[in-house]
Amino acid sequence: MSPAPGSDLGYKPLDGGWGWMVVVGAHISIGFAYSTPKVLSIFFKEIQENLGASHSEIALISSIMLAVMYAGGPVSSVLVRRFGSRPMVILGGLLCAVSMVAASFGNSIVYLYLCIGIIGGCGLSLNLNASLTIISKYFLIKRPLANGLAMAGSPVFLCIMAPVNQYLLQKFGWRGSLFIFGAVMLNCCVAGALMRPLVPPRRPSTCAAQKNVEGEPNECNTKQKRSGMVNAKTFLDFTFFKDRGFVIYLIGNIMFIFGAYAPILFLSAYAISQGVEEYSAAYLLSIMGFVDMFVRPGTGLIASSKWIRPRIQYFFGFAMIFNGTCHLLCPLIKCYAFLVTYAVFFGVGFGMVFALMFECLMDLMGNQRFPSAVGLVTIIECFPMLLGPPAAGLLVDFDDYKYLFFMCGSVIVAGGVFIFVMNIYNYHMLEKEKPAKVREQNQMSVENQDQASASA
Amino acid sequence: MSASWKQLLFQILLLVSCRRINTKTPGPTAPPLVPITSLPTDERSASLEGESHTEKVELLNPVNLSLACTWTGNQNKLPNITGFWRKDGDEVENSQVTVQLEGDQYKLKRVFSIVSEESLGSYSCVFGSEEAKIEFVLAAPQVGELRDKPIVSYVGDSGVIACKMEETKPKPITWNWYKANGTDKEQIFAVAEPLRYEIKNEERKTKLVVHNLTEADGGLYYCGAVYAISTTMSHVELRVISFQEPLKPFIAIVIEVIVLVAAILLYERCQAKKNYTAGNGTIDQTNTMTQGENIEPEESSSVRQRKI
Repeated sequence: MSPAPGSDLGYKPLDGGWGWMVVVGAHISIGFAYSTPKVLSIFFKEIQENLGASHSEIALISSIMLAVMYAGGPVSSVLVRRFGSRPMVILGGLLCAVSMVAASFGNSIVYLYLCIGIIGGCGLSLNLNASLTIISKYFLIKRPLANGLAMAGSPVFLCIMAPVNQYLLQKFGWRGSLFIFGAVMLNCCVAGALMRPLVPPRRPSTCAAQKNVEGEPNECNTKQKRSGMVNAKTFLDFTFFKDRGFVIYLIGNIMFIFGAYAPILFLSAYAISQGVEEYSAAYLLSIMGFVDMFVRPGTGLIASSKWIRPRIQYFFGFAMIFNGTCHLLCPLIKCYAFLVTYAVFFGVGFGMVFALMFECLMDLMGNQRFPSAVGLVTIIECFPMLLGPPAAGLLVDFDDYKYLFFMCGSVIVAGGVFIFVMNIYNYHMLEKEKPAKVREQNQMSVENQDQASASA
Repeated sequence: MSASWKQLLFQILLLVSCRRINTKTPGPTAPPLVPITSLPTDERSASLEGESHTEKVELLNPVNLSLACTWTGNQNKLPNITGFWRKDGDEVENSQVTVQLEGDQYKLKRVFSIVSEESLGSYSCVFGSEEAKIEFVLAAPQVGELRDKPIVSYVGDSGVIACKMEETKPKPITWNWYKANGTDKEQIFAVAEPLRYEIKNEERKTKLVVHNLTEADGGLYYCGAVYAISTTMSHVELRVISFQEPLKPFIAIVIEVIVLVAAILLYERCQAKKNYTAGNGTIDQTNTMTQGENIEPEESSSVRQRKI
């Protein structure tokens, strides 16, 4: 049903073996990337008291970290393509560790913005991009499952690091905790060590030797041309916008990200406003995270199945619609038992979307274009991610919480419907264009065989 | 005494009917002070139907407080019953009176002069021989948001301790800070040692900054909210530790990371050697791709397919 751009790898990916260790590495790396901005907020109250900063100044640390992590996408994709995943994840881990250790000696808020926000954010952005890229290199058939397992790192690390950070804070205060947290982030280097590179660095000598022998453009150059590699110097490749599937994905994703995070931020506040006590309200988020942990690999498993895999873009749209519908139904819920049910379904929806998010991009773009694509997607996603929660917050100030849920739910449902419907159109158009493309490929293969026979 | 009778006219009568033994929140505070030569008066009363009841009274300034107890009695309604007052467990002298049963109730009332911290405490009216008891707990507003976990700071760093009075409670006249010295409390005068201590007072918040911490600076610190009647205290513990403490787990984790990375890379090298010695290309060359390979998608690649 869907075209198979993933087969442009040029070799049959492992789909197992050491690949599963790479998934473990990606799990750790992605776990740190997504959970760190959230778990750092545990330290904020003490930092605020010690440095005498205001609430908004402190909250900006997390926002800067997230923004840099997403905005650093293009740069990290270039670096990952040039140097491979392993050095980048190790470098990312070192950067994060250095940033946390340096921050523990800080005495002003601006210094923390620089250390945790900017340097830490850069480290995390390297981690994220490199981990996703290497999964696409190691897996094809079982790739959705691998992606689901890797993305599950986010809720798992959130659940682990939150109590660990609380404990560290009580025992060592905020400075000691940041210091030790820096060491913990060094485990990203372990994750990087697991990411065994697949392709050795290119050997230009062989190509040069061949060129001398033949005196005409040889296989090396045609290989480059055929794989369609974009010049490593371009950070933002705007030719992606010509790809229909990419644009559809991007628009749907922007709408999802805009509405995705606000309900998480305001869930406990909403529960408290409905009369639930504070401790139980905080428990709702833990329930959501716990469910998320299992849903992500589960979704990956389902998406790997024969029936869903070709229709994965539709599954993605469905997951978004499910998530949005949950939010739309939330304001109707008043009692705690139903709020727990909402938290469970929210976790399911959220996990499904995130497990499929990068898998769908890989499915659309193929392995060669994926690193640049993911960089472009993350930098564009920066904007809805930063604008969404404040916009929702404005709605809360304006009136009841219910408008927040209506807004988020409707935006997400609209995004899901858009993806669903537009993909029907996209596949229809691709079917039409297929005969032309097959003809073109046959022509190129004939050319290549001629050259091969000539050089033999 | 006409002024005080005028005061009585303006008083707030607080009648709390209570069927349970739980305490209720204190009633509205006394009306604002009218400057007169003698102490202002105030009244608090409570009625009881069970066995005992506790009432919290928040006081800011010295008053002549009149406490009234009303008891509905038990099964055998005696026409006369003895009643007396107790302060902090000790019987108040000459407070024993005989109470008549009026309209199915026993009433006991007494005026107390609350002038200083010693006058505050627990006042109880007791009917009969411990048959019924109403307790009035007189106190100045307590500092809320107590921090039960210690603040951890490092040697050479600046430690910040804060205290806050809730918005719903009246604001104190000023704040004082004390450091525990054995069993005593020593007041901290920031003016005397400006390089070491800094006290920042706002209406409802106060902050003590201790610069250049040493291990001796650790311990209990008390913040006192000063009211006309007394000072209420709350304490926070400051723990001062040296940099070696977090260094130990840090080094342990770094060693763990180095060991794991070394192990993984060594394993990889062993595997690569094994593949190499077993012969090129015959065993799964999973990690390498020779340069001259054809990479057309239609043709099955010459990389040996690994059995999953």
